Amino acid sequence: MKFNLIICGVGGQGSILSSKIIADAAIKKGYEVRVGETFGAAMRGGSVSSHVKIGDIHSPLVAHNSADVILSMEPLESLRVSVDYLAPQGIVISDIRPWYPVDTNAGGAPYPSNDEIIAELKKLGKEVHFLDAAALAKKAGHPRTTNIVLIGALAALGKLPIESKYLIEAIKERVPQKTIDVNIKAFELGFDSIKKS
Amino acid sequence: MKWITKDEPGSIKLMMGNEAIARGAIEAGVQLTACYPGTPSSEIGEVLGEVAKDLNQYFEWSTNETVAFEVAAGASLAGARALTAMKNAGFNLVMDNFMTLTYGGVKGGFVVVVADDPGAHYSSNEQDTRIEAVAAELLIFEPQDQNQARLMTKEAFDISEKLELPVFLRSVTRLSHASGNVEFGKISQKRNTIGFNKHWKIPYRWDVYGPPGPQSKREWLHSRLPMMAEYVENSEFNKLTICDSKIGIVTVGIAATYVKEALAELNLVDKIHLLDLGIVNPLPKAKVAELLNNSDHLIVVEEGDPVVENAVRLLAKELKPEIIIQGKLFDNRVFPTEGEMDPDNVRIGISNALNLVINKDLKREELKAAIKKIITTRSSTLCPGCPHLGSYWAMRKILEKYEGNSIVNGDIGCYEQGGYGLATNTFEITDEDNKNFKINSPYEILDTIYVMGSGIGMAQGQYQVGHKGKILAVAGDSTFFHTCLPTLANAVYNEADITFVVFDNTWTCMTGHQPNPVTGIKGNGDVATIISIEKVSEALGIHSVSVADAYDIEGAKKVLKAGLDYNGPAVVILRRECALQVLRRKEFPPFEFEILQDKCIGCKACVELGCPAITFANGKADIDRALCVDCSLCAQVCPVDAIICRSV
Ligand SMILES: Cc1ncc(C[n+]2csc(CCOP(=O)(O)OP(=O)(O)O)c2C)c(N)n1
Repeated sequence: MKFNLIICGVGGQGSILSSKIIADAAIKKGYEVRVGETFGAAMRGGSVSSHVKIGDIHSPLVAHNSADVILSMEPLESLRVSVDYLAPQGIVISDIRPWYPVDTNAGGAPYPSNDEIIAELKKLGKEVHFLDAAALAKKAGHPRTTNIVLIGALAALGKLPIESKYLIEAIKERVPQKTIDVNIKAFELGFDSIKKS
Repeated sequence: MKWITKDEPGSIKLMMGNEAIARGAIEAGVQLTACYPGTPSSEIGEVLGEVAKDLNQYFEWSTNETVAFEVAAGASLAGARALTAMKNAGFNLVMDNFMTLTYGGVKGGFVVVVADDPGAHYSSNEQDTRIEAVAAELLIFEPQDQNQARLMTKEAFDISEKLELPVFLRSVTRLSHASGNVEFGKISQKRNTIGFNKHWKIPYRWDVYGPPGPQSKREWLHSRLPMMAEYVENSEFNKLTICDSKIGIVTVGIAATYVKEALAELNLVDKIHLLDLGIVNPLPKAKVAELLNNSDHLIVVEEGDPVVENAVRLLAKELKPEIIIQGKLFDNRVFPTEGEMDPDNVRIGISNALNLVINKDLKREELKAAIKKIITTRSSTLCPGCPHLGSYWAMRKILEKYEGNSIVNGDIGCYEQGGYGLATNTFEITDEDNKNFKINSPYEILDTIYVMGSGIGMAQGQYQVGHKGKILAVAGDSTFFHTCLPTLANAVYNEADITFVVFDNTWTCMTGHQPNPVTGIKGNGDVATIISIEKVSEALGIHSVSVADAYDIEGAKKVLKAGLDYNGPAVVILRRECALQVLRRKEFPPFEFEILQDKCIGCKACVELGCPAITFANGKADIDRALCVDCSLCAQVCPVDAIICRSV
């Protein structure tokens, strides 16, 4: 068994934490796992992605055209990563809120709409799910749980070779004690948003 | 007790390569660690600093890598197990003693960890430091995964003590900054005895000039090489698998993981020979000879420069000159000579060497090329409210007032983004000798950037040959103490009329906010004396030293003008703590800024400040409240007072 996942977003959005949670859960289930981080220094604002590989694997990087799922915190970042890495049978899950780069804000560079992005993603892969994860996070009780909403959505797809109980256990261990309930709620809201759609 | 110090052999945790190296050192009973931060190596020091007090070990963030190396080497001579860790660039500072310490060797296990950065994700270059460690004739470990990183670090202390030599452990970004399954081993409770013996086993052991002199010490070093050769032949970290084949692969470190995946993909597992090395130097000659004997074609796969390939070729020239070897050298190369190795280029390289058909979906490639055109670049920026934004604004505005072509020499730190440029910028490239460019973004202001401490030195050369125009250099607080002090003394001694601007934001930010001599905290968390940059500058003989708050643009302009107008070397300190650190402490100001949409004239002054919290749409600027830290800089640059401050 081999499962390739890439989690991406903009520095400061929490995608690194998501990759650690999923990797912890994979270890709990007894898998071999590698997480390769791409870019992302202490600074905020740049493109960040984490490659998470589970099963019969060795290296920390996903090969081109072979990501089973791309989980993105930002629409354009989902396309940036998908264009190189998404497998033709792959699935994309993304939050719908754009984070405009300085190149657009200050330099006036055009920024594609979500509809355009979804259309291109459909040409690259098999399924595309755009959800208002930030709104669900707010509903769960804190905007910073957007990443956990997306993990819930990922779990609901049924492609990840890890059961929700391991993910929930891993979330409980990684998030601050006081925020466990909010995070579990965020996970459930993300899960339901896919299950019901 | 921190999780990483738990003595629970057998338990499996997700660990970053750097954490695994730290855990290996903890298991080996390291007694002293000294580091200077540098991505991708910093977490080794961060972990060992955090646990130092619990484990009764010494940890320090030193002022630079040379210092860290000397501190650790000194501890080893006094018997302690010692470790130093740094990035590729930092290792260059260490070379002088690195090439000399080996002559008398060491006593306590001494492990030198260097994290290279192929692909230059976080570095000024792609340097492969194994080349220097080979030149120093040392044992070089290169782990391929996180668990092996732990095992090798632990083993490195033992073998260092047996050989009485430092051991080099080479990591790379994809190991240090990747995570994987790590199995905890036993934590050794044994600690080496501390003491000092001037003539330990060899006369004048720790004094290269002690009679009969350096050459005899080198003879001693060479007398250790047979022990090393025997060790690598028997080490479990070097594995040779011979199959029914005439083709073999030699690989090492992280590259081995790409090779194993490629072999699986290409259905070649156990169908060609594999020499899977964990030790780069020296080469296990008997194992390589056996591989040569069984092959007529070898492929060498490694991360970085062709270090192992060179050694294999040298031995092959002696033992089997007719063999075909393919790697990164010569015209038959199959791997790229710049950039990182990855699953794709390794699979393609092996396929090309073996003349296997590579299936390429051309239609998909065309589709990708078309899509890439609409993917807007995301240039990295300084953070919202970064004090450097205020400093750069003040600097740009004041420099516009001076005649001539000013040069702003950059340096390494978050402020190096002043030279990252904007992807959307357009400019003319010419061969004129002197040309002035208008700068309208903080990301375009720096004219030169090389390595830590280089800016202030280059500024002096530009001045001494008579460049017409103001000459400046910038550096952060950590960089100031790292490599600027002798260069600043030089400016005074040789009377260079330059303005040296120090961006003091209290921390070594770019590498993850480590403390340094201006922070007031030591690497193990203890309180430290704060060293004053202004007093140091004055003591070195700088007569024009001034300080302003980087959040006060008018004040910053005033002190910059004073520095620029001064005839002789001047130091200007622009001070304000890193906004991220303030945010992390949840210190929110009791006010908020807002752009009044009806007052905004769309002049883009605030946009030109370069703060990522400023957005611009439909001819008006606005503030992204999710990002803003209410630093007030945009309000200061707005020409029509459209940005107002409200209490909250
Ligand atoms: C020789 C060397 N050592 C370490 C590094 C890693 N590094 C990059 S920037 C930096 C220092 C940044 O601190 P500071 O000068 O205070 O600037 P800041 O990032 O806080 O603005 C370091 C240590 C390096 N690039 N070169």
